Amino acid sequence: MKNRVLMASGKEKYTVGTLITQIFMTIVSILFFIPIIMVINYSFKTKKELYLSNPLALPESFYFENYITAYKKLDLSTTFLNTLIYTAISVVILALLCGASAWAIARCKHKFFKFSYVYFLVGILIPYQALFLPIYIIGFRLGLTNSRLGIILMYIATGVSFGVFLMTSFMSTVPVELEESSRIDGCSIYRTYFSIVMPLLKPAIATLVIMQSFQIWNDYLMANLFVSKKSLKTLTVAMQALFSQRTTDYTTALAAIVISVLPIVILFMSLQKYFVKGMTVGAIKG
Amino acid sequence: MRKSTLNRKALIQYVSLVLPGFIIFTIGLIIPIILAFFYSLTSWNGMTAEKPFVGMENYVKFFKDPYVRDAWVFTLKFTIYNTIIQNVFALLFAVALDSSIRLKKIYRTVIFMPCLISALVVGFIWLRMYSNILPALNKLLGTNINFLLFGDGKTVLTGLLIANNWQWIGYWMLIYLAALQSIPSELYESASIDGASPFRKFINVTVPMLAPAFTICIVGITTGSLKVYELMVSSTGGGPGRASTSIIYHIYNTAISGRQYGYGSAMSIMLVLILLLVAMIQVVFLKKREVQL
Repeated sequence: MKNRVLMASGKEKYTVGTLITQIFMTIVSILFFIPIIMVINYSFKTKKELYLSNPLALPESFYFENYITAYKKLDLSTTFLNTLIYTAISVVILALLCGASAWAIARCKHKFFKFSYVYFLVGILIPYQALFLPIYIIGFRLGLTNSRLGIILMYIATGVSFGVFLMTSFMSTVPVELEESSRIDGCSIYRTYFSIVMPLLKPAIATLVIMQSFQIWNDYLMANLFVSKKSLKTLTVAMQALFSQRTTDYTTALAAIVISVLPIVILFMSLQKYFVKGMTVGAIKG
Repeated sequence: MRKSTLNRKALIQYVSLVLPGFIIFTIGLIIPIILAFFYSLTSWNGMTAEKPFVGMENYVKFFKDPYVRDAWVFTLKFTIYNTIIQNVFALLFAVALDSSIRLKKIYRTVIFMPCLISALVVGFIWLRMYSNILPALNKLLGTNINFLLFGDGKTVLTGLLIANNWQWIGYWMLIYLAALQSIPSELYESASIDGASPFRKFINVTVPMLAPAFTICIVGITTGSLKVYELMVSSTGGGPGRASTSIIYHIYNTAISGRQYGYGSAMSIMLVLILLLVAMIQVVFLKKREVQL
């Protein structure tokens, strides 16, 4: 890695080829950015502007009414809080469970741990979306639908295999020597894990937090199945209700999109450094 | 040394670290598979207490059902196109970002950003792009391009592919980019000394070194595309007609809306088997290539 950085700073030659690449990537980025710009642009337009003015023009003024309507229609104070609770609790528990499991799997040569690893991997090969029906049925039979606990347990169950996989591939970055000396000093396994290993896993935990957060935050299929009570609904489910109203007034829906995407973008921005490093660990090690 | 410290007590403690996840995973994912298999042998409607046993009838029906066939044809087309398009463009953009161009960070962020958005929302954004925003371009440019891609059974796949690729190319691009950046520069230097052209360097150094990234991206995109569902919920609703009904969409319609839990379970089991098969074939095939290279 370090070599690469040195090299990159050394080869700052800007040739014709580089210029062509630069132009190409600029065009690509603009194309990728158009839908986002349009969403933001339209979320500030009044209904009158929607019909009368040029559709591609910028709004005449920042019209916040759409955001206020979206806030009411989404029942934002409830749905936002629900989504936040489900996401935050699931992700924290996942980080704890997966980190501990992965560490045990990496350190023990006993058959049980080898079996566990392969067992967890089944969950990566079979995405839970393919099993939404039986997961829903078992949730229903255990009385876990329409309950906060049920939703959280379901997100943990469906996220655990990816988490273990991710964390295990990070384990080689944790030096065994530190743990051994702590064990010799008489620390229990638990203490060694929480005081020595976990602090070293920060980048891995950050990666897991982002990857799982945006999956759970954005989930529609399971959230829609597990919850029918209004007071437990998530943001995405509320948004679908807003989208499916076949009205020509879609500026409210676009304002709702901006509101729903913002938290996850902020989370990504603040943890980006870890994330880019972390999500690629698997890709490099295979 | 490690073996001797691993006494019984420590072993039990280690096991206790794995156990909670193990149990939740078993109840939440493994038991459902087993349960689904049993339900698939019945004609249960999801409501009644009794579940009439019908043997393999649901599976026989599965192979004869034209709706199931259409759903699979759509899903497979979507998957094959996605796997090709996403890999090609993700790698292309990654190579471009690995060169000495400026503003890399901005390009990277812009292209990556869409994957943070829910597929449900992506579907809605593109529905509005095609039906309201892009047609305005026609007026502006005086052209007559048909942007209503979701309105016609022939173009709906193209429309969904554009939306899906807009969302995911950036994600796989980041993986390729990291893999590119981890290739030791010595390899390129020695290739230069041997007089290799940039193209030969790409084929003989870059591509082999990217083998693990290829495995991750190809398997990830394929399995991801086979389970497409949310993208259609707010955009096409599986239509027009049934033109964009994916397999998960069809299971949802059959089981949840149509109250055929037994038959829906059989469809789920078949999807699981096919996903497992595809992933295994790809992993074995791609890993073999990794070793050879």
